[in-house]
Amino acid sequence: MSEQEIIESGNLELYVCGALSEKEANEVNTAVQSSKEVEKEVEEIEETLLKLGESVAPSLSSHIWNAIATGISGVRRMDTNRGTNWAAWTGWAAAILCVVGLFFMMNQNNNLEEQLQITTLENEDLQQDLQDTEDRLVQTTTVLDIIRSKEYDAYTLPGNQSVAPEAFAKLYYNRTENVAYIDTKGLPTPPRGKVYQAWSLIVDPLTPTSMGVMQNGIEIEEGIYKFEGFPTPEAIGITLEPEGGSESPTLEQLYILGPVTTP
Amino acid sequence: MKQPDALILAMKNGDQQAFSQLYDMYSLAIFGVINTIVKEENVAEEIQQDVFIKVWENASSYSVGKGRFFTWLLNIARNAAIDHTRSKSHKNTQKNLSTTNFVDILSGSDNLNKKTDAIGIRKFVDALKPACVKIIDFIYFKGFTQKNTAEALKIPLGTVKTRARNCIKDLRLKVIGRA
Repeated sequence: MSEQEIIESGNLELYVCGALSEKEANEVNTAVQSSKEVEKEVEEIEETLLKLGESVAPSLSSHIWNAIATGISGVRRMDTNRGTNWAAWTGWAAAILCVVGLFFMMNQNNNLEEQLQITTLENEDLQQDLQDTEDRLVQTTTVLDIIRSKEYDAYTLPGNQSVAPEAFAKLYYNRTENVAYIDTKGLPTPPRGKVYQAWSLIVDPLTPTSMGVMQNGIEIEEGIYKFEGFPTPEAIGITLEPEGGSESPTLEQLYILGPVTTP
Repeated sequence: MKQPDALILAMKNGDQQAFSQLYDMYSLAIFGVINTIVKEENVAEEIQQDVFIKVWENASSYSVGKGRFFTWLLNIARNAAIDHTRSKSHKNTQKNLSTTNFVDILSGSDNLNKKTDAIGIRKFVDALKPACVKIIDFIYFKGFTQKNTAEALKIPLGTVKTRARNCIKDLRLKVIGRA
């Protein structure tokens, strides 16, 4: 049927009244949904019948609506009390789980990021440590190579009986190149504000020449100092001097004194 | 009048405010239909209450796009009213009443709502042909099917449709000014 045929058929009037068979009502439904024209016709028929119905209605008291409103709020109360709404519960539970899960993951993520930062820092520290250790190993190997070589003679310089009877110092001396390494491990740690100073000694007549102050600049390994450019010694002495060293040795503070003999 | 689908959906979702607005739109016409069937105002009021509580409870069974909301309301209301007319108490009180259709109510009652006068429908209805009064009374107010109407009026099935078309068209032109 065309739109116009449907409109003129009388089916729409029966449709609004609910007097059509189910089959025909379904056909009208389809037509209403696909045609604005048919829909508008149905709306106008409905409006007419609505007004006709209203015209034969007695006054409608507002008490009626109040009774309905009371009735349905009772129904809804019963509704909510009636059993458990599993769909709603499941939905809420899922939503809550989801939020909790999200927070947990966020937390986990933050923890992991912190862990990663800490690990990175630790790693950097370890790298630094490794670098330091390697540097020291290189130095130590260098020193070992020197004192083991045949160019260097080794001497144990004894402590001065009256000042430091237990003390000693090790001397590694290259007579050809006039280079000396002194290991002070056998000496007590100097007090604050004092330093050890090494002296090259000619015995007759007694002539002390400063080899240098034992301080950072010439410390090539912990407690091992390198000395160069001093007169060939017959003996070597070590005194405790004020910071910066002295012009001549303070004999009261002579810790070490030992001969450097030609082998 | 466009069908207020948004309000209907809100009501289906439990929105009482929406239900209240729908009641304002449709309740008077439904009340008119119920009253035409039971012909007793206080009984019509009781049925009106029951019908709209039922509408609220069964809102989920109506779906937009499967017929008019108004038609759905009409069916619930007419069924409830007709059920009542079959009860014993109704039969006892109706013995001596002779009113039979909406035109009788329109001309016989002094207690119609204010809207009736505002619409000015009375004179249009009075002008309806008797054949039209009958067919509108059957298919709209009494809820007869096409087949039952044909049998009751002793006319062919097709005539029910054409007559319904022509009669309502006539009324339409007078009531809403368009046909």
